[in-house]
Amino acid sequence: MRSKIAIITLLLSGGSLAVYAAGKRAELNGVWILLRTDIGKVQLTPQGEKMRAAYDYQKDDPDFQCKPASFTRIMHTPSPPIEVRQRQDHVEINYEFMDVRRRVPLQKGLWQENRKPGGLNLKNAPYTVHEYPHLGRSVGQYDGEALVIETEGQRAGVLDTLGVPGLYQSDQMRTIERFVPNGDKMEIVVTHYDPVYFVEPLTVTYTYLRLSGGKIEKWDCKPEEATFERFVPKD
Amino acid sequence: MYRALAAVAIVTSWIFMNCDVGLAHHSVAANFDQSKTLDITGKVKEVEIRNPHSQITLEVAKPDGSVAPFYVEWSDKNALMRRSVSVDKIRVGDTVTINVSPSRRLPNLGYFRTATLPDGTVLKDCGFAAFRESVAKGTKITC
Repeated sequence: MRSKIAIITLLLSGGSLAVYAAGKRAELNGVWILLRTDIGKVQLTPQGEKMRAAYDYQKDDPDFQCKPASFTRIMHTPSPPIEVRQRQDHVEINYEFMDVRRRVPLQKGLWQENRKPGGLNLKNAPYTVHEYPHLGRSVGQYDGEALVIETEGQRAGVLDTLGVPGLYQSDQMRTIERFVPNGDKMEIVVTHYDPVYFVEPLTVTYTYLRLSGGKIEKWDCKPEEATFERFVPKD
Repeated sequence: MYRALAAVAIVTSWIFMNCDVGLAHHSVAANFDQSKTLDITGKVKEVEIRNPHSQITLEVAKPDGSVAPFYVEWSDKNALMRRSVSVDKIRVGDTVTINVSPSRRLPNLGYFRTATLPDGTVLKDCGFAAFRESVAKGTKITC
């Protein structure tokens, strides 16, 4: 009897710890397609303006190497859906575009000053996409009905080539994404803080629509099939 | 007159405020002049339905009797499948007329709009906006 009580107590405490780690869960599970995008005011530093002016979409777009520039760039491609799977201690976000499989560990109190020392943070979190370290390290937590993900450690390079072509990011960029459920819709509000290239934070809001029965398919991009150079006569 | 101008201003503002993802899709808009159309007739040499963009290669007869390739770029494979576009109706060896938006840079390239098949049927692609609308309404995609 005592052992049964002990097991039940253990299960309950484990459950409550998991709830603590996850906070109040938003209902985000599913496959989603892009409904609309709203891009906030772009206020670039002189360095940001200079980089944007020099950007050549035919040479500088990482798409042509089948490389996802950033999550902002990935989500700007309208047709490939994304998938969210909420687990007890992490969230999986699968982007069909470029076969990006992201894993975000959950850590409650990440932004609280009194957070537990030695816990998971943005410096020691794993790369959010194992195959693409340039996308940085992410940690998430629930904030009321929203899932909030913070990302740092993104490498300097192209930020966007589609919504606002020619935006660059520095390795100082910090990004906050808020996933807000709204029935069969979901908003992802992305805010980029980058003192090197942006005078004011850049906010992009993506509204998604649930794709019932939807499935993430393989993208299988090959650079030789992606570049425009394949159309240029060789002779 | 003022009323007409005000109406234009309201409509224009509405369009910009509701900036659709189609308008934001600069990759296609940057490379192809979507305000123009061009009919290209040729023999289908290759049909590559793939990601990130599909491609049809036509052999187009030149006045001197030789043939030159014309490339038609199209949506990604996954999107075409989701939209149930009958891509298999475009067959290698058939002579077809494809209506395209011409490339801004290359004379031998265009973006798919419709294809007139050997039996005269017109193959259309409703596009992502129509697909999205069908998902929102829970109806079958039509165009």
